[in-house]
Amino acid sequence: MMIKNWGRAAVVGVSALLLVACGSTADSGSSGSSGGTGGVKTDFGVTDSTITLGVMGDRTGVFKNLGEALIGGNELWVADVNAAGGICGRQLALEIVDHGYKADTAKTLYPQLEPKILGIVQLLGSPVLAALKQNLIDDNVSAAPASWSSEILNNPNIMMIGTTYDVEIIDGLSYLQQQGLIKQGDKIGHIYIDGEYGGNGLRGSKFYAEKHGMTVVESKITSTDNDLANIVTGLKGEGVTAIVLTTTPGQTASAMANNAALGLNVPVLGNNPTFDPALLSSPAAGALDKLYVAASSAPFSSKTPKAVEVATEYKAKYPNSPKNAGAQAGYVEGLVWQAVLEKACQNGDLSRAGVQTALKSLTSVGTDDLVAPLDYSSPGAPPTRGVYIAKVDQNAEGGLTEVAPLFTAPDASEYKAPHQQP
Amino acid sequence: MSERVVTERSSVLVRLRTSWPSVAGVAVLLLVLLVFPVFAGVAYLKAGQYVLIGVVGAVGLTLLVGQAGQLSLAHPFFLLVGAVSYAVLAGDSGDSGDLVGLGLPPLLAVIGAVAICALVGLAFSPVSGRLRGIYLGVASLSLVFLGLYLGQSLDMLSGGTSTGRPPPTFDLFGFRFANSDPAPTILGVAIQKQQRLWYLFLVLAIVAYLLARGAVRSRVGRAWRAVRDNEAAATAMGVNVARAKAQAFTVSSAFAGLAGVMTALWLDLVKPDENEFIGTYSITVAISYLAMVLIGGLGSIPGAVAGAVLVNGLPQVLTLGATEFGWSIGTLSPVLISAFVYGAAIVLVVLFEPGGLAAIGRRLTTRQGDR
Repeated sequence: MMIKNWGRAAVVGVSALLLVACGSTADSGSSGSSGGTGGVKTDFGVTDSTITLGVMGDRTGVFKNLGEALIGGNELWVADVNAAGGICGRQLALEIVDHGYKADTAKTLYPQLEPKILGIVQLLGSPVLAALKQNLIDDNVSAAPASWSSEILNNPNIMMIGTTYDVEIIDGLSYLQQQGLIKQGDKIGHIYIDGEYGGNGLRGSKFYAEKHGMTVVESKITSTDNDLANIVTGLKGEGVTAIVLTTTPGQTASAMANNAALGLNVPVLGNNPTFDPALLSSPAAGALDKLYVAASSAPFSSKTPKAVEVATEYKAKYPNSPKNAGAQAGYVEGLVWQAVLEKACQNGDLSRAGVQTALKSLTSVGTDDLVAPLDYSSPGAPPTRGVYIAKVDQNAEGGLTEVAPLFTAPDASEYKAPHQQP
Repeated sequence: MSERVVTERSSVLVRLRTSWPSVAGVAVLLLVLLVFPVFAGVAYLKAGQYVLIGVVGAVGLTLLVGQAGQLSLAHPFFLLVGAVSYAVLAGDSGDSGDLVGLGLPPLLAVIGAVAICALVGLAFSPVSGRLRGIYLGVASLSLVFLGLYLGQSLDMLSGGTSTGRPPPTFDLFGFRFANSDPAPTILGVAIQKQQRLWYLFLVLAIVAYLLARGAVRSRVGRAWRAVRDNEAAATAMGVNVARAKAQAFTVSSAFAGLAGVMTALWLDLVKPDENEFIGTYSITVAISYLAMVLIGGLGSIPGAVAGAVLVNGLPQVLTLGATEFGWSIGTLSPVLISAFVYGAAIVLVVLFEPGGLAAIGRRLTTRQGDR
């Protein structure tokens, strides 16, 4: 029947294809070439005058506030480096794309971006990261993720900046215990979003609880649950003495509001992404004072000199952009790349493979204390275990003030991350 | 019965003789699709593959919604079942050994995944057979939530929401759909993983198209349409209504399962969603598929293809173009613009041309439709 029609068409097409195909084999053309000034070896994204790095950020999706500040931080870093004469005699350039926090968009954008760049300064979003994992490995592209789960450290091309969610929680809980806010044998509630983010945070509280004879009351939610009244009521019934949050900022607001409204009033510890300065203008603003945030990058209002400098520059350059710790985090991503590129330049190899070699040889990347010194020599382990503890403060710019300088709890040093080599 | 087959065949033959321009058109289209990897970069190839996934899914849905008249929002659930089944059937137990993987040959795993989806669809048919219209739509939506819950809790199958699991590389009698060195070339362009996947997806899409067309033109399709138009009349004509409805749901689920396998291969990842609204197997996807079949024209298979091109292809191409050529319209992102375009397309179709793109196409070619 009609199949014949199709069959004939297919035969025409296939035979035409066979005519042109000539089924021969050839070099796949993906190997590097050497050349450039000063005998530096290069392959992708590096010319005699420019080093091009990629940014896959979010300007339109659910994390656009954070994403905009991160991109701002990246750009500030590039401007600073270029003003100081560049790296390896070359100016830096960024190729920025916006995937809107959608894995399918990122999957198509990546092949367009990849041939133009040496590596990725910022790769935002855990679904995006998961979808691009194999691409990064196949093309040997090193990437600094804007996602801090220790689960992704089994990818050697991931350049983690700062510490991971599990370690944040371990450090945070030890801080609470040091301050006498929780004690041995307590019950702790942990509200977390099921997924890479929440699952990783939960690892931290489970580890800490086991070490200190505490019990974790787990409450799993999805990222779209906005009313946590039931959950907080449940935790109150369990008699928890502290709540840990690995949630979205909106959920943090609900948890804090209910913590106050139900008269529970226990200290609450949150991972870095749980807080957004926008919460200070939400109805829950008055109930946020019990929230402690453990983060490996300094808060926007940090008194660390470099953080102050970045914040000032950022406000001057992007007066209308959201003010949050993304600015410093974006700048730090750049600083780590800077250390790697300088090392690679020293080694005379600015190819992608050269970047990997340089990265693994770095044992202490200083970032002017924006994050703790980073050690990339042991694959699978977070490069640092230090965090800043900050508390919500209505009067501070960015809504948080530091209550403890950069610190690493002994328990955090003992903790074994999921992909850490023994 | 045999008489009818004979007359049908001769009428097709008559039309075949007279419609050689359409044969030529199809041949040209096929040829363009075959050499697409030669002139398109990997990024556009990736977008093209995404369209082909949409084609397979939308063709399956248009059979169910358009031909059999059952509104279903459960498509993402079957995509998920297909993707996970493929990973389980062909996969291994993973680095840490806590995943279920049977290690079957990938081709067998694809067939198995499609069969599993068909069976799951069949299992839902008691529900789909009893409900109609919006009630069925809502009931089928519950499957998306079920998928979300199962994907999260059965992490030995799905890999869990934290990391997911990598789908095994597809291979066909030893030919791997991955990068290789040396690689075969066409017109000097190396046929690597993405080019190979394009051809694989193209073949799958064509097979899906032909199977669907076969179903629509056969007794099965006539039974579906009879049930859609009037169940009592269909019964009177000897159609087993319950069976026809179950059949449509099963077939449609199988198509969705194939699209799910393709999604896993396309993303290099099987990972259940973290919430029901955004993600690979979410409500948004259910609505996208519904949009494809609506824009294309309910029940029309070429229409579903056109709908898939518009809904799956447009955002991708606009995003690529925005970076490549610096297209921008104020603060509107390409994704937003394409959402407006297909939103507007649905409204326009419903208002002015309920037959969708298919009806417009038919009018342009002044050829009577095959419905």
